[in-house]
Amino acid sequence: MKPVYLHGDHILSPLGDGSQVNFAQLLEGHSGVHVHDRPDLHTRPICASLINDAEISGLAEPSEDYTRLERLLIHAVQALVSRFDIPMDHKTAVILSTTKGNIGLLRHPRGGSIAGSRVYLSQLATQIRHHFKLPHDLVVLSNACISGALALSVARQLLQGDQYQRAIVVGGDELSHFILSGFDAFQAMSDEPCCPYDRDRIGINLGEAAVAAYLSTERRAGSIAILGAGSYNDANHISGPSRTGEGLYRSIQTALTEAGVERLDYISAHGTATPYNDEMEAVALGRVGLTEIPLNSLKGYYGHTLGASGLLETLVGCHCLREGILLKSPGFEHVGTSVRLNIITEHRRAPLDTFMKLASGFGGTNVAIIFRNT
Amino acid sequence: MSELTQELKERIIKQLNLEDITLDDLQDDTPLFGDGLGLDSIDALELIVMLDKSYGIKLADPKEGRKVFETIQTMADYIEANRP
Amino acid sequence: MNPMQPVYITAFCILRNRQLVVDGRVVLANHSGLSLGDWLKSAYQQLGMDYPKFYKMDALAKATLIAVEWISRTLPVAGTNTPLVFSNYSSSMVSDDRHAAGIYDPDDASASPGVFVYTLPNIGMGEVSIRHQLHSENVFFIFERFTPEFLVPYVTGMLEREGLQQVLAGWVEVGADGTCDVLLYAVSRHGKLPHTIEQLNALYNKDYE
Repeated sequence: MKPVYLHGDHILSPLGDGSQVNFAQLLEGHSGVHVHDRPDLHTRPICASLINDAEISGLAEPSEDYTRLERLLIHAVQALVSRFDIPMDHKTAVILSTTKGNIGLLRHPRGGSIAGSRVYLSQLATQIRHHFKLPHDLVVLSNACISGALALSVARQLLQGDQYQRAIVVGGDELSHFILSGFDAFQAMSDEPCCPYDRDRIGINLGEAAVAAYLSTERRAGSIAILGAGSYNDANHISGPSRTGEGLYRSIQTALTEAGVERLDYISAHGTATPYNDEMEAVALGRVGLTEIPLNSLKGYYGHTLGASGLLETLVGCHCLREGILLKSPGFEHVGTSVRLNIITEHRRAPLDTFMKLASGFGGTNVAIIFRNT
Repeated sequence: MSELTQELKERIIKQLNLEDITLDDLQDDTPLFGDGLGLDSIDALELIVMLDKSYGIKLADPKEGRKVFETIQTMADYIEANRP
Repeated sequence: MNPMQPVYITAFCILRNRQLVVDGRVVLANHSGLSLGDWLKSAYQQLGMDYPKFYKMDALAKATLIAVEWISRTLPVAGTNTPLVFSNYSSSMVSDDRHAAGIYDPDDASASPGVFVYTLPNIGMGEVSIRHQLHSENVFFIFERFTPEFLVPYVTGMLEREGLQQVLAGWVEVGADGTCDVLLYAVSRHGKLPHTIEQLNALYNKDYE
């Protein structure tokens, strides 16, 4: 495969608008996860990581033309386009990762003036396309919680051909009663800040983010290279991960083989803080012999941002590589997996050359991608 | 009591989409999970929702669920003992 | 850059207008106004599958499963590394709408985990993976219409990768209103029908009466 590089990114999250701002907040140990009482969102208070729109300067005002999520996504892409002077022409692919898009509009009792057809992801994508006057459609993928990371793999595949010279990968999801009620039915959410890999973990915190990354096959100073990727289904159960971590195990093996690296310096794992996910990841990492690698889950800082998560957490990982910093995995105190992992318990400096991002999702999906500082 | 077990059987077959199961297949003591009916984790969550919606009982502790949902009979016993 | 090796469509299955077409032959048709649910059930029974999980699935997952089942009867699928590259317009609207109707019901608001689990478009691929024990890559794209212009180069590019012999790809548009427009096909390195945009459009647009 032609090598593909990440040149830069924009993170819009509850921790701030901009990647530098976000990283500074992470270094301070701040989390976007708080208890919110939002009757417009859910029938009871939730412990989640919500973007406060009022805090984002330059975010488009609510309008009849754009939904909230569209404004957030456009804001993130625009920031990236402006900073890197990216031509929005026929050589630029734009890949959108989202699990539910504008689903909050669906059958909502307080309708509003946005057309009901905007619940369809193509329609959301078309709004973004028109805003940037892109001469072709966005590539939209919706693959549960691995979407954000998988989108990088898809971008890499698309950049192998001659059609595109560069790609913008954008990921985002917003929380809604639709999503919150569903996770409630699954009894998946914790009422307190989540504790990935901890013995007493009881569930997830959901979160929101809109993030965008700039990729091309051209190597530049400060770029992070995508070295290898693997994605395999568990073929076990549509919502419960495989007890043997089969899909994740194969994903990691394939990524490692393709990357051909001799060592990995850091693993940004999925770590949703459900009893099953974290155990499955530990089992898979045990099978592949990577339990000594410093590892964290960023879900304690951002919550589980669904379609954004794989991308958001990858981008934070890229910043960690560049800065040579390993971030503490929030919420972890006692070993809570049958296979012991090397969970990062305090921020610390370390020479970092490579890292691996892991993600897993409903439908038995898994992905592993390996990156290197160039 | 048998009215409740009958009602539970009908509810379960409908709610869990067990279209290939007849009422006769479902005995009061047929194990619901594992060997027997072979229900899974999503079915368990559906039963928790059913307990709440149809019988007003909130099952706070998921570990309790295993014992309560062992068979139709254990479910009926639990409902009789706990319905408001 | 080397031109890509030619690859071929080796099987296909269409579910549309209450008609099931396999490799060009109509194998099931019903014109008596059956609901989508009842028609999919009859298609399942015709296959003689003995797979009770079928009844828990939503219409999108059912249609996906049936189409792949037919393909698996002529080509090796089970236990292979066969990536799935599926796409549609409505995502999981079949189940999204059910879930939304439940949570906004004015008299009896509730959420069903058995419905919510299907509110992601890739779950049908997950069901296929379980049924055929496929430990492989799954990607689900959203387009406005069936888009071979994207799928052909993408799938062909995947087959350039070492170790991959076959990909299942296609369009699985199943709407909340009972519409069903499914075309799934297998692509591999050896075969007769060329895997091209023109060929796929021809298969998709043909009238199979």
